[in-house]
Amino acid sequence: MNEILDIRNVTKYYGSGSVVTKALDSISFSVEKGSFTAIMGASGSGKSTLLNVISTIDRVSAGEIMINGMFLNDLNEDELSAFRRDQLGFIFQEYNLLDTLTVEENITLPLNLKRVGLTETQRELKRVSEALGVGDQLKKFPYELSGGQRQRAACARAIITNPALVLADEPTGALDSKNSKALMQTFIMMNRSLGSTILMVTHDPVVGSYADRVLFLKDGRIWSELYRGERERREMYREIMTVSSALGGDNLAGNGGDGDAV
Amino acid sequence: MLFKLAVRNVRRQIGNYLIYFITVSMTVSLLFAVNNIIFSRELSAFSENMELMSEGLTAVTIFISLIVAFVLSYATSFMLRLRKREFGTYLTLGITRRNIVSIFVVETMIICIFALALGMIFGLFIYQGLMAVMMNLLEMEFALSAYSLSGIAFTVVLVICIFIISSLASALYLKKTSINELIHGDRKVERAVKRPAVWFTVTLVFFALFLGSIFACNYFCGIISEGGGAATGFFLTFVVMAVSLVLFHIGLSKSIVYILMKNKRLCVRGGNIFVLRQLSGTLSSSSVMIGFLAFLLLFSVVLSNISFAERALLKTSLERNVPYDIMYSADTGSEYAIPEDQAENIIEKYVKILDKKPYGLYTSGRSDFYGQTRYSGEGYEDTTDVFMPLSEFNLLCESLDCEPLTLDNEFFIIANIPEIQNCNMQDVIFEWNGKEYGYKGLSMQYPMFSYTFFYVVVPDEAVTGMEKVIDCIAYDAENGSFDASALREELSYDYITSDGYQSTACDYRIREYSRQYQNAQSAVLVVGALFVSAIFLLMAMAILALKTLSGLADDKKRYLVLYRLGMGSGEQSRTLFKQTFTFFIMPFAVAVLSSIPTAIITNNIVSTVGMDSLASRIYTIAAVIAAVFVIVYLLYYLATYLIAKRTVIYRNY
Repeated sequence: MNEILDIRNVTKYYGSGSVVTKALDSISFSVEKGSFTAIMGASGSGKSTLLNVISTIDRVSAGEIMINGMFLNDLNEDELSAFRRDQLGFIFQEYNLLDTLTVEENITLPLNLKRVGLTETQRELKRVSEALGVGDQLKKFPYELSGGQRQRAACARAIITNPALVLADEPTGALDSKNSKALMQTFIMMNRSLGSTILMVTHDPVVGSYADRVLFLKDGRIWSELYRGERERREMYREIMTVSSALGGDNLAGNGGDGDAV
Repeated sequence: MLFKLAVRNVRRQIGNYLIYFITVSMTVSLLFAVNNIIFSRELSAFSENMELMSEGLTAVTIFISLIVAFVLSYATSFMLRLRKREFGTYLTLGITRRNIVSIFVVETMIICIFALALGMIFGLFIYQGLMAVMMNLLEMEFALSAYSLSGIAFTVVLVICIFIISSLASALYLKKTSINELIHGDRKVERAVKRPAVWFTVTLVFFALFLGSIFACNYFCGIISEGGGAATGFFLTFVVMAVSLVLFHIGLSKSIVYILMKNKRLCVRGGNIFVLRQLSGTLSSSSVMIGFLAFLLLFSVVLSNISFAERALLKTSLERNVPYDIMYSADTGSEYAIPEDQAENIIEKYVKILDKKPYGLYTSGRSDFYGQTRYSGEGYEDTTDVFMPLSEFNLLCESLDCEPLTLDNEFFIIANIPEIQNCNMQDVIFEWNGKEYGYKGLSMQYPMFSYTFFYVVVPDEAVTGMEKVIDCIAYDAENGSFDASALREELSYDYITSDGYQSTACDYRIREYSRQYQNAQSAVLVVGALFVSAIFLLMAMAILALKTLSGLADDKKRYLVLYRLGMGSGEQSRTLFKQTFTFFIMPFAVAVLSSIPTAIITNNIVSTVGMDSLASRIYTIAAVIAAVFVIVYLLYYLATYLIAKRTVIYRNY
């Protein structure tokens, strides 16, 4: 089986009584192992809700989610925590590094929670910190790093346990365009060299153009889908812009500018 | 409008203010209760000795109020820090600093008014409880006590003063802090401690010094209880103990986490590194506070132990110091003494005399025994040995169920002060009327029949030819209470001292009067100690709780990250427990463990003064006090932990 994530007819309602919002409307799709998928859509389209239910932070109202062969609906509270710890890696817009811990301690924390021994922890730390270029920042605290460095540290933390799936929620949201580009290069490296499967939510077409596949959400449903195939990133970007215009999402094109910015 | 905003803020912030509110309410209730005791009509009518108690408690109350004011100003600063972003936002919206200070002061005032009201309601009950304790200590019959308007007014004045002082620091902070600092202040991360190894050395050195000061304290207490002059040494030891305790805690707070972090295997286990890093910031920035709280708690523990031990000691020593109901003792032929018949008529007016045992003390005119003590030589030329015939001694012992003495050409020394036990009496050969008497023994365990440093019991024939210097009578009286103060007053007389001054004396020791006097003395000590300890304990626990709660906003974000990284709610709870419990235990552990050396030292003191029977009671007192401290501590900790847990722990769905 090559599918790492399989989502079937997932529906999510918010609210109760007469005020009910349908955030996800019978969504179905799957993600293959080793792929880099972006989810795009305007504000309120359901991107974050989708990420939340996949990351087990929120519960689905209907439908099923299977990650790495495990149905999330069947897991109890402890199993869900263990699942997040062992199978998922997270990268957030605000980095979510713990301000009281050094970069090294932040990166190795998921291994500590898995009760991995000291020797293996040190070996894994060396591997990911060198791969992500944060090896000389390990003894620093997050407040001593730039935004780009912090996000690279967060990437290192996300992949140190070799998770089945790395979930990124607007990872470039707090970065300038130069650091955004550098971070996307890091994502490509993680995906191609380290074999990480990445599912990223973004509303930035430039960022989305780095992915192999882009899912467009509108009103809680998959409205369109793009595959890169053999296309250049610039071409992918133009495709994204075209779909976005058709989608009618002002926010989507907001950060993109023209194709030269890619 | 500002008042409305302040009222709305209080309602919105009620969760954050809860522990602060409870602490202020409980403090007010204790102040209310003690102030009503100070002005209690029942107590002042009970005995003139109550004046001593009122004055003592007033001084304690004012002193405590000052400490409460400073501690609450510290606590208020935590409340402020919780909300500095909110106040910063008010400033950006154009509200003036003066208005913001007014909002905060009005908020605190609303809390204080409610706390005052609730505290006084609780105080109504606590007052009756404390009065019950007082009446028990004073052996008064229990009855519900009236409340005093003066006591209520004094409480209100003290609370207003406490409120003003505690608001001043917050007002100053709000006046001076920049908008940027208010809004972005929480982004600052508490910096790492510089030179943790030096602080660890400080910890070890001052812990050794603290232990040393306990031994020194034991040593000086021993000297003092034996009647030696070691007050300066004792005072210096206490200062060293206090300073070393504070510095030990400062050093420990600044170094313990860094020492633990050297153990890499410990760090990589679960959320340990998170806990250690959380603690490193909190402990190092609160190190002085932790040292100060440790001192307050130690002071409370020691004070409580001493007050209850003193109470037990007084009760036991009364039986020894005044073994008969009334004891007459006066120099033979004293021109001022009230004649025996007249005195007995006076006594009979108050209490029926059942039996009387006259006895006498004699002197050889020499100082064979005093020569072995420091009460000889220059300045003590007139001090001569005092003797009691064996038959009279045994007769007095018989009614008291004391073991009678048997002497065979021997003497036995009854010491009334501990230092006599260290004098070399064994080698004294007492020669009188051509006969020699050898050493039989020395004891402090017998009741006090003479108010001299010591006296020598000898076979009856040995006092032949000695001069009788003190006439004594021991009276047994009917059981039941009587006006001992009035009796003593009637048995007192005026006389002219050798310097020509007029003075008052009483040759009768009345056990009932001594008991009342000692009860008043120990009531002040016990109630004062209970009051001080309760307030200090409340303050310390409140500070720890508020400091913990003030960091919850930041902790909430951190625990969310841990949750997302896969830390389940159970492990989050354990992590939170380690983090909060370590912080709470820091100033508490040494203070409560100090109950053990305190009990040992107290026991050594009572043993030195011949009260070995009190040992088990002293250890029980220490255990009970420690248990009460631990229970209060656990209650506060539990409340804090549950609030923190509810705030920061994330659960799936």
